[in-house]
Amino acid sequence: MLTVAVFVPLAAAVALLALPKRREAWARPTAIAVSLVPLAVMVIAWIRFQLGSGFQLVESVPWIPALGITYKVGIDGLSLPLAAMSALLFTISMIYPADLRGKARQYFAAFLFLEAISLGVFLSLDLILFFVFWDLSLVGMYFLIGIWGHGDAQRSALKFFLYTLVGSLALLLGILGIYLSTPDRTFDMVEIIRTNPVPATGLASTLIFLALGLGFAVKTPLAPFHTWLPPAHVDAPAPASTILAGVLLKMGTYGFIRLSLQMMPETFQRFAFPLGVLAVISILYGALVAMAQTSLKRLIAYTSVNHMGYVILGVAAAGAMIGPESARSLALTGATIEMVAHGLITGALFLISGSILARGETYEIGAFGGLAARSPKLAGFTMLAAFASLGLPGLAGFVAEFQIFAGTLGVYPWLAGVGLLGIVITAALFLRMIQQVFLGELPPRWEGWRDLGRAEVVALVPILAFVVIIGVVPAWLVDVIDTLSRNLVGS
Amino acid sequence: MVWLPVLVPALGGVLVLLLRGRRTALGPAAGTVAVLTAGVGLWVAATEATGSWTWGAGMDLGLAAEGLSRLMVVLVPTIAAAVAVYAAGHLADDPALARLLAMILGFVAAMELLVLAADFLTLLVAWELVGAASWILIGHEWRDAERPRSAREAFVTTRFGDLGLYVASGAVFALTGGFFFSDLEGVDDPVLLGVVAGGVLLAAAAKSAQFPFSPWLFSAMAGPTPVSALLHSATMVAAGAYLLARLQPFLQPVPWFAPAVIGIGLVTALAGGLVALAQQDFKRALAGSTSAQYGLMLVAIGAGFTGAAAGQLTAHAAFKSLLFLGAGVALHAGGTLDLSKLRLGRALPRVATLFGVGALALAAVPPLGGAFTKETILAAAFHAGVWVGAGVAVAGFLSALYAGRLHLLAYGPGDPEVRDGPPRRAEMGAMAFLAALSLGLGLLWLPGGDRIIERVADGLLAEGARWELVLSLGMLVVALGLLAVWWRRGTLVSLGLPDRLRGFVAGWWGLPTAARAVVVEPVVGTSRGLSWFDWRAVDRVVRAVAAFARALSGALRRAVEPVVDGFVRLVAGGTLASAEVSRTIDDEGVDGAVEGVAEGIGVAGARSRRLQTGMSHHYYTMLVIGTVVAMIVAALWR
Repeated sequence: MLTVAVFVPLAAAVALLALPKRREAWARPTAIAVSLVPLAVMVIAWIRFQLGSGFQLVESVPWIPALGITYKVGIDGLSLPLAAMSALLFTISMIYPADLRGKARQYFAAFLFLEAISLGVFLSLDLILFFVFWDLSLVGMYFLIGIWGHGDAQRSALKFFLYTLVGSLALLLGILGIYLSTPDRTFDMVEIIRTNPVPATGLASTLIFLALGLGFAVKTPLAPFHTWLPPAHVDAPAPASTILAGVLLKMGTYGFIRLSLQMMPETFQRFAFPLGVLAVISILYGALVAMAQTSLKRLIAYTSVNHMGYVILGVAAAGAMIGPESARSLALTGATIEMVAHGLITGALFLISGSILARGETYEIGAFGGLAARSPKLAGFTMLAAFASLGLPGLAGFVAEFQIFAGTLGVYPWLAGVGLLGIVITAALFLRMIQQVFLGELPPRWEGWRDLGRAEVVALVPILAFVVIIGVVPAWLVDVIDTLSRNLVGS
Repeated sequence: MVWLPVLVPALGGVLVLLLRGRRTALGPAAGTVAVLTAGVGLWVAATEATGSWTWGAGMDLGLAAEGLSRLMVVLVPTIAAAVAVYAAGHLADDPALARLLAMILGFVAAMELLVLAADFLTLLVAWELVGAASWILIGHEWRDAERPRSAREAFVTTRFGDLGLYVASGAVFALTGGFFFSDLEGVDDPVLLGVVAGGVLLAAAAKSAQFPFSPWLFSAMAGPTPVSALLHSATMVAAGAYLLARLQPFLQPVPWFAPAVIGIGLVTALAGGLVALAQQDFKRALAGSTSAQYGLMLVAIGAGFTGAAAGQLTAHAAFKSLLFLGAGVALHAGGTLDLSKLRLGRALPRVATLFGVGALALAAVPPLGGAFTKETILAAAFHAGVWVGAGVAVAGFLSALYAGRLHLLAYGPGDPEVRDGPPRRAEMGAMAFLAALSLGLGLLWLPGGDRIIERVADGLLAEGARWELVLSLGMLVVALGLLAVWWRRGTLVSLGLPDRLRGFVAGWWGLPTAARAVVVEPVVGTSRGLSWFDWRAVDRVVRAVAAFARALSGALRRAVEPVVDGFVRLVAGGTLASAEVSRTIDDEGVDGAVEGVAEGIGVAGARSRRLQTGMSHHYYTMLVIGTVVAMIVAALWR
């Protein structure tokens, strides 16, 4: 069944390209309809998911048996929420209006291709399969930014591609390192997670860990490996930004948990503290640099660096050698929820920034003011998303950040204490952004400013609804993730 | 059922929003919702209801009407009812009145959640929601860019304090594996318990506008007057003192906790009292007084007599909201908050009388309830030490002075120009209700009053000595004398002090300037600096690496291109040539197909040529593929 979620969009992407030019108008409805298939699969998977029993709904076909490579997909408490969130974001992004530059078929084909690839990354249970999907995700995003972007799109796309490709290369070396450590030469992730074949100490394990770490740190991104992110976001079309921040960044943090933490927990322990330090640097650095931005989209992009810092802080605490198990498990659950929450919240914020660009033709915060008077819906949605991003209770971000910090405090109290300052800085910068864009006097040039259209509302409402639902009744999500967290820190 | 005091105002707020077309119904609706909330609050308090809500994985949000919560859960909506009714009259011309009233009810809902919280998670949720509600309320008039800015200052300051609760929650979890207050009982880990105490104290001090966080109350003045009335009396600011009183039994084993609470409280009581005395702005004077009064409560809590603090909190809630409502009337009637230009006593005698009740309660003149609770604070302070007692006595003296000064300047005899018509009935009604409440609390002087406080507030009162009452009365007489001297000399406004000194004190002893210099500017500067660094340094390294890679790929290209390119040219050229030949041969037939193919191949040739020229990511792709192959071969070899 999970295979359907990957291959239906892939097949549809190919079919869309074959669509005759005069049927251009079919592209959007077709793509949206197709994207409902993975979403439905995820809903069914969620219903059939049984708490606390490892990988489920596994499908496996031999692929290159000689090399121990299999086609194998499945879900657990980590991949299910991420895949489900990704499927939702893809559907929403395709609903959101975008400037298609007269290439509707190609645009939606690229989106469906990227959807298939992204779901593949989260669902793969074979390292080579995982890597193939991982690398292809770069290609999909490269085209989305390069062709449908604006500003210096080609250059930003290329930078994104090259930088993350270097990361991929490191990741590949790490994966091969793990492979070479397995006694019977397998890429089977389930098997590797069960046996942890990489020795706890020694040069090999250090090199493998660092190679994986570099690959994931670039993708996440952790400071100082983040400079590809702001230009990519600024020049990407809004729906692509949503996918980049919401889905592609999660691949990095997912990798930290799935590969670094689950496959080599003992090596992870040695590096947990330095990783935590890097996370805190990302938190503060991302927040502080975001505060200085005058471009709305760059601001949101840097807050992603800040939020990914929270995630990695939670992961580092979970993998630490010290601290009570309950605290570490809490931190890991929080980190995973943060991935989902950030995907939804930042996804919404990027869509909103696209709406602002479409109306004002600039991202400069200083150019705006008083827009709440003309567009109460836009202002309301932005405030909701911004408050969620700064971690207001009742919204998704708080649940995650509370768990991350409450858990990390029992493990690395000083890191948590310093990292908490990020919460104040993000509050200050988001409130200032809201104030400068939406409040105060309306400049005469925006007299004709339009409020959100139907498609925009239809796209934003489900995301923000989930932000509120997770913020108020998160138990259904927390319980799914928690079974994994408990197992993981307990072993 | 324990959720009702939270749900009723929350849903009531939605209801008010839905009613926004019918303006005259807004005030009564909001008032009714608040009264209803007080009713369900009373019920919940009487039955000591409890309840919980799970967030999964051991994160349970617990609610319990126990101890001091029982008093607060009724007090909050009672004051809010008066404020909401007043607001509907006071701001009857505000087009966004419905939003204001709805947010006031939302504020009440968050505060009710706060006082019912039985664990740190619920507490933190409510604590931050109260802060967010205050942001919306302070920035109510958002078209004026200054107001949202002030709202942000207030929110960010108090949110810094919220970090204390995050820290405390984490420490409690590390200690007990849960978040409930009650789990802290009998915990024996001085370090972690100290962390909890520190976090709680930070959060409480920020919320209750204690030193050095006090100036955020000045920023909060940007909100409409009813918002200030609510914020200073029963919601928001009250949360800090409430929390310390609620958790005092668990935290009092921490050796430094009591002295720290007393110290912060006493410093704020004295410094804030002087601010209130020196201020020339009506609302800011009241704001200084608010910090000072909560400082007094903190002293009592530190001394271990939470009952005294709770009593003072109740009396203060009644008279401080009354005083703010009076300030709102003065603003509308006099058109200014400048205390040197008001003296509305002759024009508004009834308001002056009601305001006088509040001022007398603030000055702690018997037989008002405020005087009784002030005495219990004094007694508690003397239990903690003679110097603490002396400090509180001086603070009490200051409050008598500024209360008297305020009343004389705002509602003393004078002849200013009165702009507005008489205050609306709703405004007068709300003020009368709060004045009656202040007077009614005077019943506490009757025998048994102390035991009522101890029972309702679930905290102890200190045994007071007769001479303490004599001391207080003596102070009142001295204060009265001093006021008379100022009045005769006409120096009530200036206090006979040089303007610069008075301005410095009135501006919270330069704290806002210091905060800007020590916190805000360095953070903003660091932020700008890092932003520059991010592009100039971090990304420069990246670009340098990229340049190196490009040079490498250039070298590779120069080595490989002649071969590949030559081959491509050969193929393309060959195909084109053959197409040309076939066309010349078949010049009658329209050989579109051949032409097309030829052109296609030509284009493909050009494209593949481009492949060789600088698109270095393709080299990377080849590099990746090459590495994969190499590694697999290596793996098989072993």
